[in-house]
Amino acid sequence: MATFEPVLTKGVGQLDLTDVAAYRKNGGFVALEKALKDMTPESIIAEVTASNLRGRGGAGFPTGKKWGFLPKDGRPRYLVCNCDEAEPGTFKDHMLLEQTPLQLIEGLILSAYAINAAHIVVYIRGEFLEGYRIFMRALSAAREAGYVGDNLLGSGYSADILVHRGAGAYICGEETAMLESIEGKRGEPRLKPPFPANAGLFGMPTVVNNVETLCCIPHILTRGAAWFASIGPPKSPGPKIISVSGQVQKPGNYEIPMGLPAGELLQDYAGGLLPGRTLKAIQPGGGSSAAIFAEDLHTGIDYDSLAAKQTMLGSGGFVVMDDTTCMVRASMTLVRFFEYESCGQCTPCREGGQWVHRILRRLEAGEGSDADLLVLNTINDTLTGTNLCPLGDSIMPFLLSVLRRFPQEFAEHVTLAGCPFDPARRMVAA
Amino acid sequence: MSADRPAASRRMVNVVIDGSALSVPEGTLVVEAAKLAGTSVPVYCYHPKMDPVGLCRICLVEIEKTPKLQIACATRVTEGMVVHTSSERVAQARNGVLEFLLLNHPLDCPICDKGGECDLQDFTMSYGPGLSRLTEPKLHKPKRVDLGPTIVLDEERCILCRRCTRFDDEIAQERNLVVIDRGHRSLIGTSDGGPYRSYFSGNTTEICPVGALTSKAYRFRARPWDLTHADSVCAQCSVGCNFRIDSRFGRIMRTFTRENLEIDDGWICDRGRYTFNYLYEPTRLRRPLMRRGDDLAECSLDDAAALCAEKLGPAARAGRVGVIGGGRLSDEEAFALQAFARQVLGTNNIDYRVHLQKFASPARFGARLIDIDDASLVLMFGAYTPEQAPILDLRLRRAVARHHTQLMYIGPYRPHLPVEAQYVEYTPGAIADLMMQLADTVHQGRTESGDGFVADIARRLAQAEKIIAVHNGRDPASVSALDRLLETLAGYNHRVGVLVVGSQGNARGAEAAGCVPNLGPGYAPCSGEAGMTTGEMLKAAADGALDALFIAGANPALTFADGALARRALENVPFLAVAEQVLTETAALADIVFPTASFAEKRGHVTNLEGRRQAFGQAVEPPVDVLSDAEIIALVARAMGHAESVSPQPAALLAGLVRAESAAERSVGDLLPRAKVDAVQPAAVEKVDATHRTFTIIPVPHLYSGGGAVAHDPGTAPMRPRPYAIVNPEDAARVGVVPGERLTLSGSGGSIDVEARVGPQAPVGVALVLADMPEAPANKLLDASGFGTATISKAASVPEQRSLERVSA
Repeated sequence: MATFEPVLTKGVGQLDLTDVAAYRKNGGFVALEKALKDMTPESIIAEVTASNLRGRGGAGFPTGKKWGFLPKDGRPRYLVCNCDEAEPGTFKDHMLLEQTPLQLIEGLILSAYAINAAHIVVYIRGEFLEGYRIFMRALSAAREAGYVGDNLLGSGYSADILVHRGAGAYICGEETAMLESIEGKRGEPRLKPPFPANAGLFGMPTVVNNVETLCCIPHILTRGAAWFASIGPPKSPGPKIISVSGQVQKPGNYEIPMGLPAGELLQDYAGGLLPGRTLKAIQPGGGSSAAIFAEDLHTGIDYDSLAAKQTMLGSGGFVVMDDTTCMVRASMTLVRFFEYESCGQCTPCREGGQWVHRILRRLEAGEGSDADLLVLNTINDTLTGTNLCPLGDSIMPFLLSVLRRFPQEFAEHVTLAGCPFDPARRMVAA
Repeated sequence: MSADRPAASRRMVNVVIDGSALSVPEGTLVVEAAKLAGTSVPVYCYHPKMDPVGLCRICLVEIEKTPKLQIACATRVTEGMVVHTSSERVAQARNGVLEFLLLNHPLDCPICDKGGECDLQDFTMSYGPGLSRLTEPKLHKPKRVDLGPTIVLDEERCILCRRCTRFDDEIAQERNLVVIDRGHRSLIGTSDGGPYRSYFSGNTTEICPVGALTSKAYRFRARPWDLTHADSVCAQCSVGCNFRIDSRFGRIMRTFTRENLEIDDGWICDRGRYTFNYLYEPTRLRRPLMRRGDDLAECSLDDAAALCAEKLGPAARAGRVGVIGGGRLSDEEAFALQAFARQVLGTNNIDYRVHLQKFASPARFGARLIDIDDASLVLMFGAYTPEQAPILDLRLRRAVARHHTQLMYIGPYRPHLPVEAQYVEYTPGAIADLMMQLADTVHQGRTESGDGFVADIARRLAQAEKIIAVHNGRDPASVSALDRLLETLAGYNHRVGVLVVGSQGNARGAEAAGCVPNLGPGYAPCSGEAGMTTGEMLKAAADGALDALFIAGANPALTFADGALARRALENVPFLAVAEQVLTETAALADIVFPTASFAEKRGHVTNLEGRRQAFGQAVEPPVDVLSDAEIIALVARAMGHAESVSPQPAALLAGLVRAESAAERSVGDLLPRAKVDAVQPAAVEKVDATHRTFTIIPVPHLYSGGGAVAHDPGTAPMRPRPYAIVNPEDAARVGVVPGERLTLSGSGGSIDVEARVGPQAPVGVALVLADMPEAPANKLLDASGFGTATISKAASVPEQRSLERVSA
């Protein structure tokens, strides 16, 4: 069984961490008190940079480096927290928001202090109604306790947090679409450059950080960059929450050290596959990631190891599929999601998504042809890598990985004129 | 490239595009650099006048050392960049984008207006797949969406490039066109779900790269390859936008922008674009008319000319004749008209001014339209550019939205502007005083310390590096006070300039051609005593002191400020000859009406408000008996035995005009000695006391008002407003005015019926009445100052006619 002592999820499930006293007792606000008293913003940035913390939202960009990009031109700066978690198979920020909102608040204030942000905006996914309520209650409690607001802990530093709720668009998790949404506009990604560090929210220098990233900050400051950097591989260290779902014994959020082999996560944390099943495919990084397979179980769960397998850690949504799963159907479900969530700006994403979805739907319904398979095998060249934001590039990776791995399964949908996993068909075949 | 693109700096960088090396300014977009390199990159969403958005992805190009293909429309060149616009990878990407765009496209090219000039067709032929691999039915979207009074939208043809929504946002600043829904379900619509109403809507049909936005005026009318093009200039207002008239078999089918960066920046307004179908309406005059008792009956041109000669000759010899017009003629014709007055009729009684405008050009500090682009402050009074000079207003909107130009509007009522403006409520008669106070304040350097709004405005002026004043040349006192203010500012090294918005399309050209009582062509003082102004001629005619009036391209019955005087004059004058395209209120009172050719049916020059003389070509032939104004004038002159005095030929007339200008050592763009003006001064608007039912009447302009072409055009009919009067909510409550009801406004010159509107833009005690509407001529209520008073009562159509006095008593 796992021996890693949880950092971000310490006390979760045992203590009511939405309570200020309980959170303090759990080690909370130590970092904030220390930082406001003894640390300069520069030393915080230096510490975070030394920790090699990489953004937990999906792209894995070094957080300290991102903070360092802000131009020093005297313009007001914004810190925006991306809590629009909507990646299929990912539910870690959801948990952090509901279970440890004060940890997020502490991370926010620390980060805002470090980058000298004038305003903090937390963009909470619209569907996280309960999380929003919990967060708002925790925010009032923190404000009352003097951790948020004017002249924090007598330091002379002031910071307040504004909460903006989303309205149901996956694309608003893309940072520039999120900024547009906060500005009251249609939530659509912006053309980059300029990057948010230069022209972000309302045209001002802006840092957008993920919930989990921000939650790491207090721990880095309390226990030191060296401690953080020692967890897992040096280039992508730290604790990481993985949302395990699919056909496993114990689905759920698990905090692991980076670099843990996928097989250990599956066996030791998630309790392994259901009885009598064999592993077919795993999406290691949410709906946008390409699949890994049984022979890849030794692969470490971290940015670089997964990238070497032509997939990604992404948001940490670990979706396990066993031998009862139809790959056409699984692909169709995912593509339907991306097709539905496309903002419609870029032609390949907008048109390609609906086309691929219609082809998969037809294949699954037994109405596909060899011509359809040919399209699926070639469309990636024009669909992927030609869009303004990563959404369009998320349509194909899983489909392509399983199409290459299980070509016969796709072909069978054509030759059988139906889905081989369809129970009704199986009865006929028997 | 318009001025506000992210500045491509002067530093040159070396790039290689498709093997050809060239040096371009650093920061140039790759798509623009490719043009310089002689190659072209296909684009849909990119438009040189708008910010790059990088949506359509058709412009993907290969840039060495960059792994992914890059969009040429948003990537800027850097030193040493090597670009391939036609490599295998690029071809594949283009092919892919086109395949995607065509997936659900209806391919109804055979019935599509855009067919033949469609970027989707053209790029598909050049770069696209021959066949679609889509094997299922196409997705359908709404076709024939009635987007507004001018446009029909086909959502299926739309490729969602968003040029139209971005035009409405970035250029028009109106933010009414938007994308609705998401992904491939996206539709184009309006933000409030209502009709798309904009004075600039027609431009969206032009910039639409496919056949999605089609203009109602042109739908299913012609194919592009059947059209004959003629370069022309719009003379509907004084901006002088360049445009192209496209005709088929001698009939105008549509008009199209003809980019002139310094004037229109490639846009035209809907009035300019759509006002041409009146030429094909039964109301268009096609035969000369002669009065027979109460009626006008058709006659021959020769008979009409003979009668003119018979009546004008004796009147001229008696010195009891006047000529009105010129502001709606070409420069050549205005020259011909004054020559007719001075040489044939022997009188200086000629005046082009039939509105309140006194001067069409600034006496000093003449500016150009592009001066607005980088102005720090624009000071507007009298003129109201959103209605009177839309394309100038478009430039102003952009300056305010993009260049932090401050717009200060001084006037008697709150303007409706899509961009931020500072409004200074000021009664017109007091503007001269304000200018003088401002000049004093600036001059005495009291801008820092003073308080009150005069000091506030003076402070803004003092802080503005470049100041452009826009007015309508209506009030000589405020104009000379403005000159003093600007002179003071110029003395402090501010850059200053003035634009005078013409009340008629060619007001400035008519002024320069000598259609004023004291100045001849080239602003040369005329020989002999100065003649009568329009106001004096009308007064004389009303008093029986004139025997004949010749009016060409003017409708004083509707547009002259003192409407009662104008009507009395036109009814009383023993002989009235009018040259017009449609039977206007003035023409209806005439003894002889000559049908005249429109601008599309003749050639010549027209001078815009900057003083820029522009040539326009003939697009179509006029009907058989329809002559240009110059030909009519020449015909009448010949009938009077003066064939040598006036040529009907534009070239000869222009030569005469230019000769006169060089003799006077002045040309059309010069700043002129002042034309003689009527003695009337605009009175300060008196605020009536609160218990009274008498309102001060202030006429308000509208783009589609007027009694001429625009009143008879089926294309602009849906955009024409119904006559209305706006009163303040306070007044409405006080006298019981309900929005939407019919009101009768009774003044000294008669009464008019209008629709009641209630709004805060009307100051208390003031009724804002739509001007120049033939159904309800506001000038019946006005005096020579351009203002008036009227009593408001319920309209007679209300079953029980009672005045409000009695109701409330």
